[in-house]
Parts: sequence; structure tokens; C-alpha cells
Amino acid sequence: MLLADARLPSGGHAHSASLEPALLGGMAADAVPAWLVGRATTVSLVEAGTAVVTARLLGGSRDGAGGPPDGVRLADVVRAWAARTPAPALRDAARLLGRGYLRLARNLWPDAPAMRVLAAHDAPHGQLPRAVVLGAIAAATGLPAADTVRLTVYDDAQTAASALLKLEPLDPLAPARWVLEACAAAEPHVPRVASCTTPEDIPASGSPQTEGWAQAHALLSQRLFRA
Amino acid sequence: MPDSAVDPVSAAVSGLLPDGAPAPAARALRLGVAGPVGVGKSSLIATVCRALGAELRIGVITNDIYTDEDARFLRSAGVLDPERIRAVETGACPHTAIRDDVTANLLAAEDLERDFDPLDLVIIESGGDNLTATFSPALVDAQIFVLDVAGGGDVARKGGPGIGRADLLVVNKTDLAPHVGVDVAQMVADASAARENRAVVALSRTDDTSVAELRAWVLGMLNSFRSGTHVAQDPGPMAPHFHADEDGGYVHSHDEGQAHDHAHTH
Repeated sequence: MLLADARLPSGGHAHSASLEPALLGGMAADAVPAWLVGRATTVSLVEAGTAVVTARLLGGSRDGAGGPPDGVRLADVVRAWAARTPAPALRDAARLLGRGYLRLARNLWPDAPAMRVLAAHDAPHGQLPRAVVLGAIAAATGLPAADTVRLTVYDDAQTAASALLKLEPLDPLAPARWVLEACAAAEPHVPRVASCTTPEDIPASGSPQTEGWAQAHALLSQRLFRA
Repeated sequence: MPDSAVDPVSAAVSGLLPDGAPAPAARALRLGVAGPVGVGKSSLIATVCRALGAELRIGVITNDIYTDEDARFLRSAGVLDPERIRAVETGACPHTAIRDDVTANLLAAEDLERDFDPLDLVIIESGGDNLTATFSPALVDAQIFVLDVAGGGDVARKGGPGIGRADLLVVNKTDLAPHVGVDVAQMVADASAARENRAVVALSRTDDTSVAELRAWVLGMLNSFRSGTHVAQDPGPMAPHFHADEDGGYVHSHDEGQAHDHAHTH
């Protein structure tokens, strides 16, 4: 769970998981619990599916589901993720988070084959998004696919919850409960997302409103968070 | 070789640095500028750019708390190509971004150095924080801590990690001293005592002599960085401080590099 902790020094503290864009875009603060559940069952699952397919591709899955068909490459996974994340502002932010994660992961697991594949891919193809790096970490650590899904969902919800305390006045205990509720709401989706093996399998459950808020937020000159 | 601003583990792993960053010897000096809100950090950076822009290739990263105002101020000051000034969001934690999790600033520094290769100097401005906010040596090679006379003549005497052990302490806005009833010479003397005679510059951007002094310090630091004689210092989370107790108290130092427990109460 440390991997999904906001205190992990990989740059996550400057991100709000789309919460600041939502609040500045006019979402009411009392809608945050429902919004967290909404993310956990849509956008977060795109990220989770991307991480699961990446982990299978990089050979770290230990749950016997097998890897993707021959010929599938990391670039295919990245393309599938990008197609499901249409807002450039969100893709940029995800790539920035991916760089931070990769920097940390290469320090922690320098000899893991999955990290070497990412490093080799990074140079010619540009920076990899957070979900792909999370998948590589799952491969490097042998994290089961279902836990990879849960980790990705929790990371997203907790990032928003940590940011919320800086954006709205409230009892810090409240968002802790909302994070648990968001993770519970994602639980019925875990088996389906954990079974993704090809880039096509990655859920396409985006959120156009989130994308729109992200684009508007990227143009603001007054903001606390990167995205 | 001063390599403390580079991730030492990954550097040791493969000789490859993350994100294709150049090896330490080849890259720019990363200079942090910290200090409380309103002491003139952005203005000091503009002064450095004005004084050295003709001879050094400079890039600047700002860490505003809530806006990109500092970046816009520096761009509008016309002292540097606006493209060479980048703003980094800090998630409301300017302290975290320069000390506990320097990722965003490191990535921005690497990007600047890559986009404008070669650079001589990358200045990283902290979002103004309190007296305990200092840069991690994982981010900068050297750091300037800034106070101003309007903040009160006694601040330098109070000490703290930045005041006590930054590579340079600047007492800024000396031109305001007569208006706020501060004795600059006394403030500098207090600062020098708190710093055990580490460098102090009493600065006013309208006083050319003081600007020349700042300029000379930056060039001197750049030279010692390049020659490998400068080792990045961590001013540390706590300065040496006095503990009162029944026996009269004792001075407690945190800078000996030795492990110690905190059985006593601070």
C-alpha cells in the first residue's frame, strides 16, 4: 500500500486527481463523495486496466491468466490508454506522474526486467503514463492483478482525498471514509478489470465532464495542483 | 565530484540518469532561493539575471503557492527569455516541494537543462514559506536564504536552518532600513554570528556595490561547483539550539551527522 501513499516521494503531492479542476469548474463540495465513487467506477478503471495489461505484457503476473497475444507491444498499451484519455491536460499530467513513479521504481527495483523494458521504451517513445509505470511495478513485485486494480483505484481516490483538505474546510476524518466507500464501490468491477489481457480489453469508461474540467483548469493562472 | 543533486541510487545503478539527464559534471549549477513570503526572492532572482544574464546561460523555476505570479513577474521583468522561466505547482506545500518530495522540481530542472542545453545556472525559487524551509541537497547544489530588513532586525538573530547554514544569507531591502528603524550593520553582525561567519550579503537592488557582491558570490559558487570543490550542504531541519534545564542548560547540535535519540523534549 505504500505505493499508493501520498507521502511516497514521486511527485504526487502536487496533483489532485482531477479534484481541483472539478471544484473550480463548479462542482459542489458536498458532491465529492459521489464524485469519488464515480471516478472509482469509471476513470480509475481505465487506469487500472492499463496497469493490469502492462503487468501481463511485462511478464510479472502470477495468477496464471497468461500474457497478451504475441505481437502486442508496450506502445499498443499506451495507445489504448491515450485513446481512453482524450484530454491532453490529463495525459500530460499522467505522464508527469509516470516520470516520478519511474524515477522511484528504477531506484527501488533497478534490476527488474520490467523496469529495464520501461527505460528502453521511454527513451525513443517519450514518457510513459502513470498507469503503465504502475503496471511495471506490479510486474516487478509480482502483485496479483486484482490487487493491482485495487491499488490503482485507491491511489486515485487517496490523491483526491489528500488534495481535498487543502481545497475545502472539513474534518480530515471525513475523506478517509469516502475513500473506503469509493474503493468498495469499485470492488464489483475488480474481477472484470483484473482479467484484462489485451489493450482492447481495457475499459473505455471515461468521463467527458472530467476531461472538460481538466482542459479548463490547465488554462488557469491560479491553482494549487498540477491537475 | 559533487553529485548530491542527482539521484545517487539510480546514478550508481547503471550510469544512466532518469529521463536522460546529463551526468553531474556536465550539468548546470542548481541554486535554490528560499525565505519567507515577501522578502524579495523573485526580485533577487531578477537581480541575478540582470547582473549575470550576459555571461551565463540561466534558467529559472518558480514554486508559487497559489499562482504563477512569480513566473509572470520574472517574465515581465525582461531579464531572461520568458521560455527559460517555468512555474511548478506545489500542491499547497512549498516546503514539501523543495525538501520532502522534490520530484516536480527535479523533473522541471531536467527539462529546462534539456530544452536549453547547455545551461550554466538553474535558479529554483521556493514558494515563500517559514524560517524552517530549506532545500534538500537532492534538489540543489547550493542555496541562498533571504530575509529582509522590513521583517524585523531581530529575525537574523533568531537563527534557524536557513539563516544559520544556507550557503549564503541575503539581508534584502537595505534601502528600507531607515524607514523601518532597523540597524543594518547590527542585523548583519547578528546574522554573521548566527552563521559562524558563513557568507552574508546586505543587498539592495538599487545599491550597485551590494549587487556586485551578490554577483561575485554566485560566480564564486559556480566556479567551486565546476571544479568539484563545493559539496552541497543540507542546512538541516534544526539549527543547534539551547536547552534550558535545572543545571543551566546545554547547546544541542543536530549537525554532527551522528545518530542520537530525542529522549529530551524540545
